[in-house]
Amino acid sequence: MSLEILISVAFGGAFLTYFAGKISSKLRDILAVFFSLALVVIVSYLYKVETKFLLYNEFFGLPLVIRLNPMAWFFAIAIVSLSALAVIYSLSYMKHRERTDYYYFMLLLINAAMLAIVLSGDLVSFFISWEIMSWSTFLLISYNRNGALPAGIKYIVMSLIGSMCMLVGILSIYTSFHTVNISEIANHMATASSTYKLFLLVIFSITFGIKNAVMPLHTWLPDAYAESPSPFSAVLSGMLTRMGIFGFLLIMFVIVGAENTLYVGKGFFSYHSILAWLGAITIVIPTFIAMLQNDAKKLLAWHGIGQGGYMIVGIAFGTSLGLAGGIFHTLNHAIYIILLFLSVGAIEYSTNGLRDLNSLGGLFKKMPVAFLGGLLGICGLIGIPLTNGFVSKWLIYKTLILGKAPFLAFAALLGTWGTILSVFKFLHNLFLGQLPREHQNIKKTPLTMQIPIVILSLTILLFGILPGLPLKVINSIIVSYGFNSLNISIWGISSETGTLNMINIFTALLVVGSIFWFIFRAARKSTTVDQYDNYAAGAAIPKDKYNYTVEFYAPFYRMASPFLKDIFDVLYQKIAQFTEFLCDTIRKIYTGYIGDYVLYIILFLAFLISAQLKWSVF
Amino acid sequence: MKILSIFISPLLALTIGLLFLGISRKITARIHWRYGPPVIQPLIDVIRSFSQKSISHGPFFDFGIILSLTSSIVLIFFLPIGNFYAMTSGGLIAFLYLMLLGPFGIALSSAASGNPNSSIGVSRKFLLALAYEVPLLLVLLAVMTHFNTISLVEIVNIQASTGMAFCSWALILPGVAYFLILPAILGVRPFEIVSAPQEISSGPVAEFGGKHLAFYTLQHALQLFVGLALFVDIFLGGGTLFGLLNPIAGTVWALILGVIIFLIKMLIVLIIGLFINAVFPRFRIEQAMQYLWKWPTLIAFIGLVIVVLIN
Repeated sequence: MSLEILISVAFGGAFLTYFAGKISSKLRDILAVFFSLALVVIVSYLYKVETKFLLYNEFFGLPLVIRLNPMAWFFAIAIVSLSALAVIYSLSYMKHRERTDYYYFMLLLINAAMLAIVLSGDLVSFFISWEIMSWSTFLLISYNRNGALPAGIKYIVMSLIGSMCMLVGILSIYTSFHTVNISEIANHMATASSTYKLFLLVIFSITFGIKNAVMPLHTWLPDAYAESPSPFSAVLSGMLTRMGIFGFLLIMFVIVGAENTLYVGKGFFSYHSILAWLGAITIVIPTFIAMLQNDAKKLLAWHGIGQGGYMIVGIAFGTSLGLAGGIFHTLNHAIYIILLFLSVGAIEYSTNGLRDLNSLGGLFKKMPVAFLGGLLGICGLIGIPLTNGFVSKWLIYKTLILGKAPFLAFAALLGTWGTILSVFKFLHNLFLGQLPREHQNIKKTPLTMQIPIVILSLTILLFGILPGLPLKVINSIIVSYGFNSLNISIWGISSETGTLNMINIFTALLVVGSIFWFIFRAARKSTTVDQYDNYAAGAAIPKDKYNYTVEFYAPFYRMASPFLKDIFDVLYQKIAQFTEFLCDTIRKIYTGYIGDYVLYIILFLAFLISAQLKWSVF
Repeated sequence: MKILSIFISPLLALTIGLLFLGISRKITARIHWRYGPPVIQPLIDVIRSFSQKSISHGPFFDFGIILSLTSSIVLIFFLPIGNFYAMTSGGLIAFLYLMLLGPFGIALSSAASGNPNSSIGVSRKFLLALAYEVPLLLVLLAVMTHFNTISLVEIVNIQASTGMAFCSWALILPGVAYFLILPAILGVRPFEIVSAPQEISSGPVAEFGGKHLAFYTLQHALQLFVGLALFVDIFLGGGTLFGLLNPIAGTVWALILGVIIFLIKMLIVLIIGLFINAVFPRFRIEQAMQYLWKWPTLIAFIGLVIVVLIN
């Protein structure tokens, strides 16, 4: 009953907001926030409801269905609440920009399309929503024009390749089973041959791999993230890209089924182990490329690719624990990467569009809230204990180590240790170090930008200390796939092979920390000095030119930069250039002169006649 | 038992860590034909530092250093010192992650000071950490895969029944690799890149004075303790010695002797390490990374392959 309200509020809200923008921009802002918050309320009201709704009966004779189950609810609540924060953040960020009606329309439409994707009960409505999402994403990526246009085109070309693969998959499913309903397909799947299952898995994996930026299908992502407006970069990295993970879950565990997916192929050359290894590569290489970036958003974008690898590894490993880790990491990643993009956005806002890591610094004195967001965000990204990223990564590591896959575990752990370097560079070059003089009087962060940052920071800590809250929902998803239930308590996870209890660690850190804080306070009081009062072993300090940011890891760059090129991007560019050249050459045949075409016809006829005379073929 | 160890372990670790710092200075001095400071000099320095003047660059400058010492103490709770341990939650993976917090806190604090020398030191620290983490992770994965557990306590207990891991065929190579990277973990001689007083005026420590310096020294002592203790726990069987304590197992004496055996093992590892390392000059950061990614990584990798093949 409530599902149709949800869908109509989602899509109707987007259109209403657009038309309200034509009347007054204030009304549009209010409506945008109202509709996105209304979605949050409706979805949370639907907690633990399992329902179905027939959307449209006669789509070329196929019924279009939307349905709600634990997996759909989990993704839906993440989508609506995180998008709502992005909308609230946009209020100040997008003020005084042009084409804001169009921006809000697209943002809400993408929100609605993502909701429709996770709710869709058949592959046709899935495909339609997927296309709405892809195209509106293209429009928003290229919102800033100039440099953003090529980024958008790169995205849409790759996205279209993915969509075509999905279309082939859906058509082949329809011709074999004469249905597009997901649960009916799943029933038919038991009778399908293993070759056919493998075909389906591979063709859908290309679609979802492109969306989730699994290496080597990742090349659209860095430019797209860097060039879109920051609140949308946040949505794009947090939820939209992770529709790929939703797709992987759907095809692997709902449509094809867990027991089939895990046994397609033999040994190393089975589907899930190759996917896990692709995930491992996706973790390691982008993490190291991220270290070389000088653009704050591009650095985060490369981490977006890398963290996607953890989810893939967790899911592909296909045990309850790994699956829980993978799905939980999807949520955690969404929270902290959105937080980080919003923090960078706050800096962009205050410094009139600067996000270059070499020209900023010392902003923690001027923008404490953004700094808090940045600090907790990178802690989550690394997975420092007490932040949410720790729990999900712990689950994935444990799965890999006890599942006798130490080399995969090594890739995953190495990714984390590489992450520390680049994210510390991020934090240091933006917030720490000396504050340059030209940024002494920057704009203050408006309240509507601070609220989302604070909420997300608190969520990181909440899910880090009480991971049981989301893990209970995730557990119900895993059970719905037919896996064993995990033993989840509110503060962690307990099992016979090692428990995790975050309250323990939290209490220990809190108690020891407060003891040391008291000792620190009790000791002789220190005098506070300003940033120019530095010890330089007697050397004279040139003021304002004494900041260590450019080439933060210089020795490493010298060693590693020849090896860390995005070879796939270069390869695809080459292919694109070759295609362009080929098409150009073919175009030369079509000159547009009637005489030339007549000549072609005569030449062809002449060829036919001489062929007949010589070999008498006809 | 757990309650007891919550109070005993940190104190023990702090004093032993400071003592080891003193011993290492003394031994290095004797190798260099100098007389050297008294063994308890670091302890004296810490106590004196608390009463001395210090400067602060704002709340995050203070927060970072407190965070770093706090996490190092919490790390001690996870370490089985003989039979003493207070926490097991999360096992070796949580332990590895908590090991991160110490350097991270120091980095936060030094970077908040705005001193470029500190920033250079921090960047070197992270590069060095990346360099030694690659072999270290391989080593720990070999151990965890071999014993099929992620619990540190269980690793020690299994060794109590089967003998030291260092003497078993499967884990000798990871053991050797760990020993090779130990000076990098502890930040001593050839890997003294981070603080390098002659180049970057002590790097991350440059702005620390008074209580900040005292906190830093305590953290440094704990880091030394943890690096050595982890080696003893994982490869040398913790507080056991060829089943010597089995007849009196469960008594108070066994408990105390266990701790003493544990500390003696740590001291032996420290001294052997010092003898080798005190005669080397300091590496440059690239050289350190190349060395650490070459021999220790190769040995650790072969070790991991052997462990995988055996199981």
